[in-house]
Amino acid sequence: MPAAITDTRHHDAIVIGGGLTGLRAALAANGAGADVAVISKVHPLRSHSVAAQGGINASLNNNKGEGEDSWEAHAYDTVKGSDYLADQDAVSFMCQDAPRAVLEMESWGTTFSRDDEGRIAQRPFGGAGFPRTCYAADRTGHNLIHTLYEKAVQAGIEIFEERFVLSLAMEGGRCRGLVALDIASGEVEAFSSKSTLLATGGYGRIFSRSTNAYINTGDGAALALKAGVPLRDMEFVQFHPTTLFGTSILISEAARGEGGVLTNAVGERFMSRYASKAMELAPRDIVARAIQREIDEGRGQEGGYINLDLRELGREKIMERLPGIRQIAMDFAGIDPISAPIPVQPGQHYSMGGVACDVNCRTALAGLYAAGEAACVSVHGANRLGGNSLLETLVFGKLAGENMAMDSAAASFDDGAAKALANSEQLRLKEIRSTQNRTQTSKLREELNRTMFTDFGIFRTALRMKGGLAIASNLANKGESIGVGDKAKEYNQALIGALEFQNMSCVALPICMSAIAREESRGSHYRTDYPKRDDLRFLKHTHITKRAGEHALTYADVLLDRWPLEERRY
Amino acid sequence: MKLKVARGYSKDASSYQIYEVPEKPGSTILDALLYVHDNQDDTLGFRYSCRGAVCGSCGMLINRVPRLACRTQLASMLLPESRHLVPSISIPEGGFELGREVLIEPLPNLERQKDLMVDMTPFFKAYKAISPFLLEKEGSEHFMPQPTVRELERYTNCVLCAVCFSSCPINGKELDYLGPAALAKLYRFIIDPRDAQRSMRLEKGNSTTGWWGCQFHANCAYVCPKGVTPNYAIAKARKMIRERTVAISKEDS
Repeated sequence: MPAAITDTRHHDAIVIGGGLTGLRAALAANGAGADVAVISKVHPLRSHSVAAQGGINASLNNNKGEGEDSWEAHAYDTVKGSDYLADQDAVSFMCQDAPRAVLEMESWGTTFSRDDEGRIAQRPFGGAGFPRTCYAADRTGHNLIHTLYEKAVQAGIEIFEERFVLSLAMEGGRCRGLVALDIASGEVEAFSSKSTLLATGGYGRIFSRSTNAYINTGDGAALALKAGVPLRDMEFVQFHPTTLFGTSILISEAARGEGGVLTNAVGERFMSRYASKAMELAPRDIVARAIQREIDEGRGQEGGYINLDLRELGREKIMERLPGIRQIAMDFAGIDPISAPIPVQPGQHYSMGGVACDVNCRTALAGLYAAGEAACVSVHGANRLGGNSLLETLVFGKLAGENMAMDSAAASFDDGAAKALANSEQLRLKEIRSTQNRTQTSKLREELNRTMFTDFGIFRTALRMKGGLAIASNLANKGESIGVGDKAKEYNQALIGALEFQNMSCVALPICMSAIAREESRGSHYRTDYPKRDDLRFLKHTHITKRAGEHALTYADVLLDRWPLEERRY
Repeated sequence: MKLKVARGYSKDASSYQIYEVPEKPGSTILDALLYVHDNQDDTLGFRYSCRGAVCGSCGMLINRVPRLACRTQLASMLLPESRHLVPSISIPEGGFELGREVLIEPLPNLERQKDLMVDMTPFFKAYKAISPFLLEKEGSEHFMPQPTVRELERYTNCVLCAVCFSSCPINGKELDYLGPAALAKLYRFIIDPRDAQRSMRLEKGNSTTGWWGCQFHANCAYVCPKGVTPNYAIAKARKMIRERTVAISKEDS
């Protein structure tokens, strides 16, 4: 029997996740006077935010020649892109705040690319009526997160690196903190807080072909689900049209924004048949389906990909605007896009769904907040526009941090729940490490990945999804009695892999259930057995809540207070 | 093909373990290590996250050259040219059969924690020591010419993987030397027109733990997976200091 855990760390505000959302929230909470700490399972700079490429949207209006941009135009594009499932109050708030958020990062040191007059350059992106995507070459996420980490160092924010959060502590209807595993020492630690933020990013690694980092295992959604907090719109999973064939590494939408074209095996620019006006710059759901259809109908290249051709851009533009894409193509496919097309195929990219929260980032559980990709506020609805995820991290990260600081002022600590939980979690981990019933986590994970990509992929049907749900449920059950070969306490990465699998399999189920229940096609959720949008039945958010081991599915209204429903044409 | 991997915790002497991994076209060293972890030995320790050479987690010594595992093709490590000597790096020769096996060890100049994982504390200590944050001037959107951005990008592309730090012979000897990544970061603020304290920053590196500690082995630029050239930044900073000294002595006379 391990020694009982009696120590507890105290922070007014605890942020789980060290990506853009988490760091921005921590800075805001710190700025508002709260004692804040960040807990992350990796060093913050290893967070997946670092991989964001193309840019961040804000109606700065730096492209005067293109007409007049406005936050309203940005919001309209976002709402239409979302297939009308986004909540329009949240979208309005985000788009109004966007220019401030971008200029703040600029004043903090982000090296944005510039136009001829030295202003922040802006380029066209999918589904956008104006060139409003600001960028730092094609390394926008990298530049933003390095700036925010620098600011966090300056502010002296306490960061607990390589801590894996095991569960949230609850008492008296409030979140009171959490319990985490220190990966280095293998010790379980209790953290007591007045407010706790889930800023853990998405769940892309549930799918076999994903652009996401290995660390994106839906940990925040799993924590919420276990705590009885609803998940919203989990069926909406974004498949990015262009990921590198073979490795699924992201090839930014910026490649098309700068003029790259998509061609099939017979050399046809096939987007003319799917979105005759917007062509390659239609929203991602539409382009991803077009590419998959070309491949499925035999017009792809051998092996199942199509070409993204940048040759027309020329060496200079590629070197200046897309140096990272060129490097990726050379390093991982042995292809120089200056002289040859890049082989691409669609792959999972983003989680529109997430932990349900209101427009102030508050969840149904007092003291628990959610923001960024981990959350569903909802600003992306059924399909996110490129350039809006980085924006969401900064706008809602800041708001969450401010609200946590404000709410914490009136709250008090209660250590009991975290301490008790720490002791039970310690026993649970010991069980996983010591059980003789060794399951090979990778085999379970591979089966889950394959099932989710084939049965809950770009094209969905009731028949396949029901089969997929049965497999996923079975895998989730197996995950509960998982064992590992590594028996060590320190640096036990096999244990982390097992815990991540538990999270992935428990988050997969709400995706399956929500998708099966939604008998329509909207945004990224495309049902070949229900190919039309059905506003009468499904202009609603899906909520899944787990209580006493049972999942309950309910629907909630979408807030449409400004832009009326339209058919989506591009 | 075979991987020869250094194993052990912090205080242990390395023992080496051989793993047989399949040769698949396009496979990287990271893919091979993940294959081992998934199918043969889940006690093998190594860090990774993005697998796309942007997060800087997976720096390790591969065929005795510091590299990112995710960016290094497995097949390329069987070729003789994979064993380019990194000048003056104090690691032993030999010990593996080049062409038949790939040697994978933890980064030098940092203490091992477990297997291929090293303690990055000294690296980030140097980073924090240079005040790695913009000291703001007033104004909302600062205008900046694109050529200035281009010059800044030479250094802002750094992913802080510590591959340079582990290749630097000075970092191997001098505990207080800031090292290539931190000095490149310091220089990045010196040339950033938005920074309010640029001359203070130039002065900050004006010592043997800073600009003057470098001996221009240029290993940093050679091993950098992102094309950053800390040696160039250091040379420019030294030139700035010399010119400033000349300017001041002219004023004095």
